[in-house]
Amino acid sequence: MFDIPFLLVLVPGVCLVATVVTAALGPHILGPRSHWPVVVALVIAAAASGVLVVQVHHQALAQWGEGRPADPAAGYEKIVTLWQWASIDDAHYAHQGDRFRIEVALRADPLTAVMLLTVTSVALLVAVYSIGYMAGDPGYWRFFTYVSLFVFSMTMLVSVSNFVLLYVFWEAVGLCSYLLIGFWYQKPAAAAAGKKAFLVNRVGDFGFALAVFLIWTTFGTLNFHDTVDAAGHIIGGVLGQSGLARPEFWYAPGWTLSAICLLLMLGACGKSAQLPLHVWLPDAMEGPTPVSALIHAATMVTAGVYLVARCAPLFVASRDVPPIVAGIGAATALVAAIIALTQTDLKRILAYSTISQLGYMFLGLGAGTLAGVSAGMFHLVTHAFFKGLLFLAAGSVMHAMGGVIDLERFGGLRQRLPITHWTFLIGCLALAGFPLLSGFFSKDEILSAVYERGLDGRDAQWYYVLFWMGLATAGMTAFYTFRAYFRAFWGPERIPPEAGHHAHESPPVMTRPLVALAVFSAGLGAVLWLSGALEQFLEATPSLVFLATHPAPWVYNVVEGHGVVPVAGTLVALAGIGLAWLLYVRQPQWLAQTVRVLHALGLYQFSKGKMFFDEAYQALVVAPLAAFARTCARWDHALIDGLVDAVGALPSTLGRALRPLQPGIVPFYALAMVLATLVLLGAMLW
Amino acid sequence: MADAEVALLVNYLVVGAALVALGAVGFVIRRNLILMFLCAEMMLQGVSLSLAAWGRYYNDFGGQILVLFIIAVAACEAAIALALVLVLFRRRGSLDVMAWQELREAELPPVVDREIPEMPAEPPPAWPSLPPAGRTPCVPREETEFRPHV
Repeated sequence: MFDIPFLLVLVPGVCLVATVVTAALGPHILGPRSHWPVVVALVIAAAASGVLVVQVHHQALAQWGEGRPADPAAGYEKIVTLWQWASIDDAHYAHQGDRFRIEVALRADPLTAVMLLTVTSVALLVAVYSIGYMAGDPGYWRFFTYVSLFVFSMTMLVSVSNFVLLYVFWEAVGLCSYLLIGFWYQKPAAAAAGKKAFLVNRVGDFGFALAVFLIWTTFGTLNFHDTVDAAGHIIGGVLGQSGLARPEFWYAPGWTLSAICLLLMLGACGKSAQLPLHVWLPDAMEGPTPVSALIHAATMVTAGVYLVARCAPLFVASRDVPPIVAGIGAATALVAAIIALTQTDLKRILAYSTISQLGYMFLGLGAGTLAGVSAGMFHLVTHAFFKGLLFLAAGSVMHAMGGVIDLERFGGLRQRLPITHWTFLIGCLALAGFPLLSGFFSKDEILSAVYERGLDGRDAQWYYVLFWMGLATAGMTAFYTFRAYFRAFWGPERIPPEAGHHAHESPPVMTRPLVALAVFSAGLGAVLWLSGALEQFLEATPSLVFLATHPAPWVYNVVEGHGVVPVAGTLVALAGIGLAWLLYVRQPQWLAQTVRVLHALGLYQFSKGKMFFDEAYQALVVAPLAAFARTCARWDHALIDGLVDAVGALPSTLGRALRPLQPGIVPFYALAMVLATLVLLGAMLW
Repeated sequence: MADAEVALLVNYLVVGAALVALGAVGFVIRRNLILMFLCAEMMLQGVSLSLAAWGRYYNDFGGQILVLFIIAVAACEAAIALALVLVLFRRRGSLDVMAWQELREAELPPVVDREIPEMPAEPPPAWPSLPPAGRTPCVPREETEFRPHV
């Protein structure tokens, strides 16, 4: 019963059923009980994902025995083909006989299983939290419909096994994101933010689409996995075992492969809010806070990370692209951290922190080694929990403060909101990389992977610089996180008038998910790191086995140097936390002086103004396009409309010329009749 | 014998054609509605005459039967046409066909060669006052539709 194909279909399937049920019954029958189908479906999905992880782990171990296999193609994958979507003979312009086949195929491998479990478990906790947070909202059923539609799309995104379906669900999660950012569509800011997210994502999706086209012309297939045709020939998939077994032939380095990887990276940049397409994510905080937690922190924005991790063999084979990926990641991490230093909107701080942490993940993926990729995935998992926790705690604060989220307007809440305070503190410690919490381990893994690459090998100096950027980011992360924490929970108690006289802790339905997430945030990293389970497990993914068995020749594998990184990371994190404590708790008067100095240097405005990305895009992209559109509109009015109007004017001009023939005088008509009869008579007698 | 028959037919046909031609000319040149109508009737009678003549010539009663039909239809038509003429006259107080030019194109000016005297303004209808019991007054149709000056 609980075999892998069944579980693979069950996880997205229950979410789809919940979507349909909630959409159909929500408005009139379920009403304020609309969360039930979704919560039940998510419980089933999370449990099924858990069983799936166990099953895949069991199968992978059975296939491998203990230890790493010698055969690169020996990773574990299980393909479930549901039905064939499209099949076109002789579709390729160059290779005769290539068939364009799209199968609705799901795959089970460790990477997918990990993503599924992360997505469904965070989604479950967020959905439970939303019962309290969204209570009484007129769009209650709509919210839960969108959430379950999102979970369906996201679980499909991580489990499909070809690029076309990946693209389909890539767009589907984008749609859900748009719908949920603009959930309160009566608010102009929310509607504008939804539109902005959609438009900025178009840029990335355009790159992704081009990458899919290039993959088709290059590889002649869009499947990840190998398929067998009617004649029994194996058709190699892009990431299939036959291709992985002979990488020299299959992944021919060159400009085509680099272009594919860069375009895929452009798509990932859009979805995962990396430089230069990160501008939509901070604005996306206009949506309800559970959405910010689920979609814009924990799951959807990690789709780009998943994509790059999935296509890791392509990236590694293309040689020049991983340093670019790492560079984009490190730059994004640094830039977002600098911007986060001075923001006062609690949710925006967390949004920039998300961008920064996603940058970290790309930094890890860009190392191009198994350690780097699995560190990136490790950070993805831990980040999903602690950032989800931070957002939900911020939502709890917002709930108590009557919708106010500006740090200027409240403070000293630690007695009023004890549970929120403690869980937020744990989230902050995890994010800041405080030793032994989950963020510490995953961030340390990423920095170690980059540090190793910086020691020797190709592009070593580049990675060395990136390592220092990552370390600087870690310090800033600790500072801005604890700046937000101290300003919100320490100091004299200040409560905005919107909160009324009864600012109080959130109901248990909201605090219990917080506690659960806090437990995961605190313990998950240590458990996964100490046992090494995640890395071993991920290594059984076929495309990641490849990295282990075919380390790129330019990667110099070193095992030493591990001791330096955690120490440096810890010191930097503690320094950041200490500085925040000094400036915001111990010596607040120093803060004003520091700000004055930074203000004089212009750095403060630079950070506060979000580095003026929006203004630059407005001036460089939006304004020229708008001017172009206006010119086109003018042409359209003058030329095209003029032609159409001319054609329309022709009959009426003709009519005006013939109009005197209708004088309305009866004798005239009589004469015309008689004359016409005479003419007819004459013609007959002729 | 045959010559006499043909000569007789020709006589009738000439008279019929003369009636049609006179009717057509009168229809075109006269402006009095009743006279125009009578001209049209005259054309009809010319055609009837030639039909009867042809029927006599071919020794076939079809022609005569058709004439009977024409007379019946003409009687109906005359009733309707004269009623219409009456209504038209009531509207304008004139039988001049030029008084009716409403079918012209909207922007064309009407052709006015002879002023038609304006109709005297209708006196405002004198409605009966509400009876004390509060019932809606029962106004006879003639009260509202009857025009005393025609």
